[in-house]
Amino acid sequence: MPQAALFLADGSRFDGSGLGIEGIAFGEAVFYTGMTGYEEALTDPSYAGQILTFTYPLIGNYGVSGSAAQYARACVAGAIVKQLCAHPSHHASQCDLGTWLDRERIPVMTGADTRAITIALREHGTIWAALAVGEAALARAEVELSAFVRRATTQGLVAGVATPQAYRCEGAGGGARVTLIDCGVKRAVLRDLAAIGASVRVVPYDAALDEILADDPDAVFISPGPGDPTDLGATIATLRDLIGRKPLFGVCLGHQLLALACGASTYKLPYGHRGGNQPVRVTSTQDVLITAHNHGYAVDGTSLPGDLVATMTNLNDGTNEGFRHRVLPVAAVQFHPEASPGPSDARGLFAQWFRDAELPVVEA
Amino acid sequence: MSPRNILVIGSGPIVIGQAAEFDYAGVQACRALREEGHRVVLVNSNPATIMTDTEVADAVYLEPLTVASIEAIVALERPDALLPTLGGQTGLNLAVELEAAGVLERYGIELLGTPVRTIKLAEDRELFKRKMIEIGEPVAESAVVTTVEDGLAFAARSGYPLVVRPAYTLGGTGGGVAYDARELRETLDAGLNASLVHQVLLETSLLGWKELEYEVLRDGHDNCIIVCNMENVDPVGVHTGDSIVVAPSQTLSDVEYQMLRTASLNVIRALDVRGGCNIQFALHPNRSEYAIIEVNPRVSRSSALASKATGYPIAKISTRIALGQTLDYIPNPVTGVTKAAYEPTLDYVVVKIPRWPFDKFPHADTRLGTQMKSTGEAMGIGRTFRSALLKAVRGLDLKRETLTGHFSQWSEAELLVIAERATHERLFAICELLRRAQSADEAEAEIARTASLSAIDRFWLHEFDALVAIEERLRRAASPEAIAAALEAGYSTKALRELAPHEPAVSIEAPVFRMVDTAAAEFPARSPYYYLSYGETDEMRRPVREAVVVVGSGPIRIAQGIEFDYSCVHAAWALREAGRASVVVNNNPETVSTDFDVSDVLVFEPPGADEVESAYRGTGAAGVLLAFGGQTAINLAGELQRRGLRIIGSDPSAVEMAEDREQFDSALARLGVSRPKGKAARSFREARAIARELGFPVLVRPSFVLGGRAMEIVENEAQLAVYAETAPPIVPDAPLLVDKYLRGLELEVDAIFDGDDILIPGVFEHVERAGIHSGDSIGAYPPPSIAPEMEQRVLAVTREVARELGIRGLINIQFVVDADGLHIIEANPRASRTVPIIQKATGINMVAAATRIALGEKLRDMEYGTGLHPRTPFYVVKVPVFSFSKMRGVETALGPEMKSTGEVLGIDVTFAGALRKGFIAAGIRLPGTGGRILVSIADAEKQAAIPVLRRYAELGHRLVATPGTRAVLNAHGIASEAINKIAQGSPHVLDLIGSRAVDLVVNDAKGSREISDNYKIRRAAVEAGIACLTSLDTARALAEALGSTAGPPRSLQNYRRLAERVRATP
Repeated sequence: MPQAALFLADGSRFDGSGLGIEGIAFGEAVFYTGMTGYEEALTDPSYAGQILTFTYPLIGNYGVSGSAAQYARACVAGAIVKQLCAHPSHHASQCDLGTWLDRERIPVMTGADTRAITIALREHGTIWAALAVGEAALARAEVELSAFVRRATTQGLVAGVATPQAYRCEGAGGGARVTLIDCGVKRAVLRDLAAIGASVRVVPYDAALDEILADDPDAVFISPGPGDPTDLGATIATLRDLIGRKPLFGVCLGHQLLALACGASTYKLPYGHRGGNQPVRVTSTQDVLITAHNHGYAVDGTSLPGDLVATMTNLNDGTNEGFRHRVLPVAAVQFHPEASPGPSDARGLFAQWFRDAELPVVEA
Repeated sequence: MSPRNILVIGSGPIVIGQAAEFDYAGVQACRALREEGHRVVLVNSNPATIMTDTEVADAVYLEPLTVASIEAIVALERPDALLPTLGGQTGLNLAVELEAAGVLERYGIELLGTPVRTIKLAEDRELFKRKMIEIGEPVAESAVVTTVEDGLAFAARSGYPLVVRPAYTLGGTGGGVAYDARELRETLDAGLNASLVHQVLLETSLLGWKELEYEVLRDGHDNCIIVCNMENVDPVGVHTGDSIVVAPSQTLSDVEYQMLRTASLNVIRALDVRGGCNIQFALHPNRSEYAIIEVNPRVSRSSALASKATGYPIAKISTRIALGQTLDYIPNPVTGVTKAAYEPTLDYVVVKIPRWPFDKFPHADTRLGTQMKSTGEAMGIGRTFRSALLKAVRGLDLKRETLTGHFSQWSEAELLVIAERATHERLFAICELLRRAQSADEAEAEIARTASLSAIDRFWLHEFDALVAIEERLRRAASPEAIAAALEAGYSTKALRELAPHEPAVSIEAPVFRMVDTAAAEFPARSPYYYLSYGETDEMRRPVREAVVVVGSGPIRIAQGIEFDYSCVHAAWALREAGRASVVVNNNPETVSTDFDVSDVLVFEPPGADEVESAYRGTGAAGVLLAFGGQTAINLAGELQRRGLRIIGSDPSAVEMAEDREQFDSALARLGVSRPKGKAARSFREARAIARELGFPVLVRPSFVLGGRAMEIVENEAQLAVYAETAPPIVPDAPLLVDKYLRGLELEVDAIFDGDDILIPGVFEHVERAGIHSGDSIGAYPPPSIAPEMEQRVLAVTREVARELGIRGLINIQFVVDADGLHIIEANPRASRTVPIIQKATGINMVAAATRIALGEKLRDMEYGTGLHPRTPFYVVKVPVFSFSKMRGVETALGPEMKSTGEVLGIDVTFAGALRKGFIAAGIRLPGTGGRILVSIADAEKQAAIPVLRRYAELGHRLVATPGTRAVLNAHGIASEAINKIAQGSPHVLDLIGSRAVDLVVNDAKGSREISDNYKIRRAAVEAGIACLTSLDTARALAEALGSTAGPPRSLQNYRRLAERVRATP
């Protein structure tokens, strides 16, 4: 196995071994704390441009099924694990994870001290990094990382994963007609919308107002996606125009974009939330939901304008997890009700939104 | 909330299926209640527990766990609330019974936490099944039956195999898998009898499905979290307590993990559980289909495991939920910054392996099924499954460091039988099969074959195979790379020496400490909870104060039970009290000592030489305490000293001198103290010669063992020959000890010696004469039948022995008193089973005193006094408790090899009253007037038995006897009913027992092997749930108890005040 190392922009280095793909991946170094769901995470478009460290040490135990994938390909820039399973065992497994990652041309480091990396990221905050696999890559990694850091940006991440043209995604029928602005949508979001009967027209993240409203949808849904929401000025402007014209719902990046469109602000979290165990308290009921997260930015709860009201708060760090408009049918959450990976405590939220907006919901 | 007066019921004695986990849970519960300002009234009959310390509860009642006894306590203490879900199945059942008896209503007691209707819903098989169907959760096709006939009728429709699950039992008592009508009849009979409500669930088999558990918490606001999920390596069919269990699950996809998580929440909500709950699932290996197996609406062995696996204190949080708090307001004690409404995430793997008592019971049925047989468990934490597995394996203290090398003599056919029908050796048998594969292809083929035979998922088999390959590689050629790989995989240095004995000592990189933090490092944690890992970064925060290591005792097993954990906890507390930082090394997930609240640094590792050395060096410790972790810890003395660790307390030479026959003899000779004559034999031939010289009977046993393992009284040369065939071979390091057997009164002493002064808090007297292991004897303090002069003689001899051995701290000595005077049987330079009891009775914290002596203090500077502590004005009687009903085929007659799993205490102002309470607490249903007692007495004992049996008759009991015993009774004018011997045909003695037409069996026939009538009588009594006394001495004591009345319950605090008043009175 080739040697591999993760270089952080602060000069620290973590060693391990590579798999078949040699070369360098550049991106933000982040960590995911879920103990299952590696296939979903690796294919989650929100991880685009990121080097993902799995805190759980045994990855690949149940192979790769294909059916769990959230996108047509792996989305991460690179992956770091403690121990990669070469002998998966699961009835749904099509292939072992190492082979799949090679096929997806993702640089991988195994045998790494993933806990030490996690502690470094926790203490330093999210940081630019290079994952180098193979001797040649290792030799040039540090120099190239400093060059990368000078020009590194989150811009273009959404464009890299969002659909270039519109398409339709029909549900069982009889449900709401929804236009989904795709900033890098996960299949699970489409699945859950279909599950409540919605017929969804997916449009690119930079679709103009006319295109979004082309077939007079019942509601507009803004998808999750990667990167910094403030990079998407045009999308935010479009959303601003939509407020008051259509019911608007957003998830994750969609939540941040809607907040910005309404006049709130966002900021970068020290090291993000990525995992399936984040407790979120619903303000109105005081219920606690255990939720799936994958975001590096957050909506500043104190910046919500007077016509928005915070609906949910993260119990761990007090960050804003959701808001709604006081009058209009506008609502969004920071976490992922569609889970995949993660717990399904908030699985009923899309239906709830639709009902509140008096849109049809087809029960499964 | 205004302060309340809350009753907490403990789980009673340690039995198979209910062990130290409830001491851990109970202590957390009591502490949580008192932290919130409430008064706690605790009832538990188990004296070896921390929870029954007067520091833990405001009123501690060491009283029998019966409705009558608890009602009497309720009448005294008038609690206004009861916390029912922390005391295991025993506590839960008592809460249900107290409610049914109207006690709760009569005294206006509110049940905290999970309501009774939930307990009934979860425990009643029929109600539970209906509820699951109602909420759309799948269960196996099943029938709830209350008669054997109904069960057979269901089987006729459903076919076999069928799983039998009795309602309201623990550890699968009375349960099993039936493969045909005969087995079903037997299992149903036992199961119906074991069930509190005479009800069992018959379930079509899910054998071979994956078995998973989810630990769930729910608060009164309906917030739910999963603390941990766990996957059993052994598929459905082996009781989860007898399974190798891994946390978190390893072979479940996120879809499956979340499917079962959602189902767990549906179930806990439908049942309305308030607090902790454990849900067991079966998951089909080839499709994502599941069925709910069962739910425990309480904290459990699994919740203790989940707490230790994650760092999340389930019992503490459950208690706070019971008080009405919600998860989002309770802080997460590990991080301090997050809340209890949070699902722990792990960045390591946890493996639990059960510890079975088959080494003590060579004739037991070792096959594993739905009835639990293990007494304890060892847990390993590692960054990989492999290292966690290896830590658990060596933590079992079976002297096994590797997965292979134990079954090389076995035939393939023999190994395959074990692979298919699990025994305690299945892991090792499978690894041996894998070892025999000569190539990668052969290994694949073996994995496929083993997977189809055992239904163990291939993932695990591949992991085993990876370790087997490492072992084989080391055996072939121990390159530095191979050694480094083996260390990282989790092998000990001892394993390396075994696998590569010719490799010169390699320099080995020290392991590092990693933290258990519930959060996979996402949040900084403040819990001082660590495990060891190789090749990674170190996270140890060295204590500021001088550190001292306390070596724990590992898994609970017969002869090394919870009492040593009790001592370790007190040692840790005493260190803290003395301004030191305590560092505990232990690997038992059930216990209080592995609660990270107890010590300043918890190193969750097997208490072996490597790990203790790492803990010592890693914390910069100034000393190691070995005397509290039982024989496991004591046995490390020499090795640790060679490695340069500073042992504090008694010098390792004391261990050597006490254990080495010749050294000990010459020490006693110097002191002029008598002991039974004996010698060490290095072969069985030599043993025979020694026995001839001493004269039979002799007591034979291997040296350096605990609990009298393989210890027997041998009456003649023929028996010695049998012993030689069945006993473990004699090894040079541990010769066979052959002693003249003295049948006299046995005394046991725990003393503290500081080099100058001695303190004996109390002398324990055994009810049974020497010949029955002290752990299986009924013991009483103050000694009811010995004179003060003899106590003084004991004091003097103990002082001299302690001085001669160089004791600094605790010493435990067993004496025999016969017509010739006082003799020493053995001395142990360590804590003992009786330390917690004496500590409870006298209030003298022996462990604290011994710890302070190890730190350099003197007794005369402490508050405990010296010499012989005055006798208490009340008696404590320890009664052993056995788990024979869980162990088919085991001989129940008592002898020098220990068989009990736990003990209870009876306390009263009279000896007879304390005895009576002790018997009741031990679960012996005392026959009422007119009760029938079946007696069969050995010929040699018949004359001695007459007064005892006459006493039973005088008390109004009806004796039933087989012809031989009956003739003797007739000759002495004692009336009895006749019953046939087995050979005389039905209805004979076994029919009588089987129909439960007797209330008690007294059968003292000795030396009989498994084939005899007497053995069958004793086993029949066990199967029928009838108490069987196998010593005339015990029978005599029971007669005394039957003829007396016990006093009212009294708290330990109250007894202490009584003692102080008496002492203050001139």
